[in-house]
Amino acid sequence: MANIEILLLVLAIAAIVSYFLTKLNTMLGSIFTIFATMFVFVSLAAYGTNLNLDTTVSLFPGLTFSQTYLGFYFVIIITFVYLMVSFFHPYYIGEYKYKDSYNFLFLLSLVGIIGAFYTSNFLQLFFFFELVIWTTMFLIPQGKSKEAAVSYYGFSVAGSIAMLLGIFIIFQQSGTFDISTGLAALSGTPSVFVFALFLIAAFAKLGVFPLHIWLPIAHGNAPHPFSPVLSGALVKLGAFIGVLALIRIAPQTAMINAVGLPIGQYIVALLGSVSIVFGTLMAIKEDDAKKLLAYSSMSHGGYILVAFSLMNSIAFAGGFYHILAHALASAGAFLAIAAVARQTGTTKMSELGGMIHKMPITYLAYLVAIISMAGIPPMGGFISKWLIFQAVIDKGMIFVGIAVFFGSIGSFLYVFRPLAALFLGQELSEYKVKVKEAPLLMLIPTVIIMLLNVYTGVFPGAILGYTNKVIMELGYPAINVSTFAITGFNGVLSPALISLMFGVGVAIAFVIFIVLKKSRKVGLMDTYTAGNFVHDEHLFHYTKDFYAPLERLYEKHSTKMQTFYKSLANKVKELGRLGKHLFMSKYVEVAVVWIIAIIFFLLWGEIL
Amino acid sequence: MTIVNVLLGVGVAFFGFVLQTSIAGINRKVIARLQKRQGPRWYQEFLDIFKLLSKRSVSHGWIFDFGVIMALGGIIATAMFMPLTSTFSPFGASDNFFIFVYLLAVGMLGMAMSASGSGNPWASIGVMRALTTMLAYEVPFLVVVLTIIKLTGSSSLSAIQLFQQTSGNNWFIIALPIGGIVGFLALMGMLGKKPFETYIAPGEIASGPMVEYGGKQLGMLFIMHEITVFIEVSLFVHLFLGGAHNILEFLLKYFVVYTFANLISNVNGRFKIDQVVKFYYKWPLIMAVFQAVIAIYFGWVI
Amino acid sequence: MKSTKFSLATKLSKAEVDRKWWEIGDFFRRNSLWMLMYCTGCCAIELPPAMTSAYDMERLGMGPMATPRQADILLVSGYLSLKTLRRLIYTYEQMSEPRYVVALGSCPINGGIYHDSHAVINQLDQYIPVDVYVAGCMPNTESVMNGFVDLMGQIKNKQANGWKKYHENFDWYKANQITSLGEVDVHDEFHE
Repeated sequence: MANIEILLLVLAIAAIVSYFLTKLNTMLGSIFTIFATMFVFVSLAAYGTNLNLDTTVSLFPGLTFSQTYLGFYFVIIITFVYLMVSFFHPYYIGEYKYKDSYNFLFLLSLVGIIGAFYTSNFLQLFFFFELVIWTTMFLIPQGKSKEAAVSYYGFSVAGSIAMLLGIFIIFQQSGTFDISTGLAALSGTPSVFVFALFLIAAFAKLGVFPLHIWLPIAHGNAPHPFSPVLSGALVKLGAFIGVLALIRIAPQTAMINAVGLPIGQYIVALLGSVSIVFGTLMAIKEDDAKKLLAYSSMSHGGYILVAFSLMNSIAFAGGFYHILAHALASAGAFLAIAAVARQTGTTKMSELGGMIHKMPITYLAYLVAIISMAGIPPMGGFISKWLIFQAVIDKGMIFVGIAVFFGSIGSFLYVFRPLAALFLGQELSEYKVKVKEAPLLMLIPTVIIMLLNVYTGVFPGAILGYTNKVIMELGYPAINVSTFAITGFNGVLSPALISLMFGVGVAIAFVIFIVLKKSRKVGLMDTYTAGNFVHDEHLFHYTKDFYAPLERLYEKHSTKMQTFYKSLANKVKELGRLGKHLFMSKYVEVAVVWIIAIIFFLLWGEIL
Repeated sequence: MTIVNVLLGVGVAFFGFVLQTSIAGINRKVIARLQKRQGPRWYQEFLDIFKLLSKRSVSHGWIFDFGVIMALGGIIATAMFMPLTSTFSPFGASDNFFIFVYLLAVGMLGMAMSASGSGNPWASIGVMRALTTMLAYEVPFLVVVLTIIKLTGSSSLSAIQLFQQTSGNNWFIIALPIGGIVGFLALMGMLGKKPFETYIAPGEIASGPMVEYGGKQLGMLFIMHEITVFIEVSLFVHLFLGGAHNILEFLLKYFVVYTFANLISNVNGRFKIDQVVKFYYKWPLIMAVFQAVIAIYFGWVI
Repeated sequence: MKSTKFSLATKLSKAEVDRKWWEIGDFFRRNSLWMLMYCTGCCAIELPPAMTSAYDMERLGMGPMATPRQADILLVSGYLSLKTLRRLIYTYEQMSEPRYVVALGSCPINGGIYHDSHAVINQLDQYIPVDVYVAGCMPNTESVMNGFVDLMGQIKNKQANGWKKYHENFDWYKANQITSLGEVDVHDEFHE
């Protein structure tokens, strides 16, 4: 029987051991990290699925743990992504400035995550939350970009402080820090305040409009194997807080009768829609592959918030399934880009081309990941998008519907760009000789994630059965799902049937292809050039400004949010300068006058 | 779902291919007569496709061939779900509207992969234009379809046809007239007819994605294009024109819609790609939203 | 005495089966010819009346195509300078097989009015195989249409074998090309 407290303790000790091991020999430390993560994942999966973990606390009195289906669902997804990413450590650890602390901080952040989802006390939730933020904050720059760490920290701490304020309001109203009793005792106007504060925390952690500036900077500059964790796993912490706020607090405010939603949830849905559109448009413009996937995480964060704000079971099922599908797809895409970056040293799409000829397996993994990210059958992203569409259409929400459809179609555009510019196209001469396929240990997690992407799309029945348990725990009826079909509000979906027919279609096309005459194989440079003799591959590779005609339509508006935040920061600096000028000028007499005045005001009540 | 359903589906896909290819040939003759010419034979498109399948062409690698197979496979799979009349649907109630929209995207993704894998920049530019055009016409179209599904209460195509055919209900092109116009404009974008023919553009980008294809790959892509047109025009017939009670009514409505779209396209020039996006996001989107608001919230349905 | 035992129909040999498939293919190929109009010179002016309402090429099944990979016929219309000949050979080798060449005007036959120029070649047949010549300077549009119908007749009679001749006599053709042009594939044209 596994005990959560012992598990956390073992993981913390493993973190310290890996620090010393990595100091000794980087390869040994990284392999130890792989085993430590595997141990945690296996014990959680074996005991936690049916809530069989032992929650008694013996060593650290004051810590309290409780198991919920909601917490377990998040924990198992995040731990799985950590496990897959840890396979990449032995190959990348040599590039970092602070090698020994990398594995240490990696395992310590996992401690924070497991603790955050299993705890039942608000203050401990805050403590584990902050532990995650602090460890990842030191992981992100690794000596390269201070701006990334600063903006990540600034926005995350703003969210945490908002959450702490909300916790104190709950304490004031209910007298306890326990999660279940605190939320149950919440009512009236304070509940609206707590709702808003928790939502600020959720927005900051998910990276949803308007608190999204840190997302491309942090994810784009993070170390290559850590970006999938940031984008696929850590933003789900924000989704967890969002679920707490939207579903369990759910203040009774005025209803908008046209759509049948309370006004708070409707505003969240609108902000989520703006985030979807914004993320899609910024991703279409982006040249760096990692920043593009970061903007796509912003867009999908918007989808998750829209799903959770619609207040019915089908939307919740769509939201939970989207968390899983997006984590897998994002991890797959980031891992493929990381494999390419290791061989070529760059992630900018305008410098790369033709990688498929040397790295076909990485290409297939990336292809499957983006089919899922764009929401195309037969992969997992289609199921969750279909469920969200069902909920949006049933409520008849037009503007949210426009944003949801726009995001869905727009995602074809931005996921296709790395495929065409990075993997396909001409093979550039500087990479022809030195690029090889990724090593075996890196291919294992890539292939596992690829197979899981396909499985979540073809047989969603098992996972949807599990999310039904989570939805029922939150107090809503379960959705109707069987092994082969899902019933929505206005239709039935059979994913296995669609995949089977896709297979039949491809078989027919393959037969037609084989029967006909064999084609002559020619090189990539032997192509239609309107009669010109071109010998340089760079002249033939279309990758820079891929969507230029579309970008021209909205280029002028694309920096407005960044200038807004910069001007906000400038105003705060000016306020500080004003204070410094007033209170700390070079004349000593001014300071003495202020001190006397302040003491006088403080004693006002006493004297008079 | 049994073998009979699968065979019926394959039969529908084959029927759609034969139907669309014949009607495309007849349309070439109609357009020629408009231009005071004789025009080709009505089975000319068949000859074109079989000639292409008999030629020996080049290949640029495994992704070039695999993309074409995936494209044709995806489109055949989509066509297998299409109902022909309100009572004949190969897979029963599983002909959900969203399946068609997204499986078409698989076909397009396969073709895009294969075109970019040929290494020619014209192909990538053509794919970029095709994707941008798709972004432009899908959003107003899906808003109108949102209205239709909300009014019908079901997103299965057979159910939508039956809803329009019950007495007291009009076809959706009459009940939602503004939405019908938006739907037809979106249909012209989907078919790639002028003025939205930007992604082929033979004079500008040397026929876009098709630049490096010849022989059997081009023949398979032509088959894919014919089946895609069949799916899109049938979607319009089922969603807006009340579907059909029997196969003759379906053939008649199909022929009228496709010929009308062809005649309009014949007298138009070609838009630039940013003009396409600006066109669809101005009046069609406003009209679609207006129609949705008055139909869902006020219930003003004719 | 003739045997009364029932014997199965003789199985066709592989060559005969291939020949039958080739005949069916020929039917499709001659009724749907796509042209790549390589308008090298003045004879190109005869093509617009052939394509439009006056003489209507489309009723024969012919039509213009954008790139060499998609086209069946390479239509050489006019004189060929050395610069153009290099690109013409490059384009011809990119076409899909089977492929045909139709030469319009007198210039591909014997040089035409430019026969004594230093920059123009005199006989196109030495460099790439030509299937149909249409004589005239320039030929009437009816002659051009006649030439196309002749090509269709040649395909029916299996006489349009220029592309096979090119494969069999490849060295001879290449030697001619190098003698006149120096090199076919020009390097450093854009100073890359």
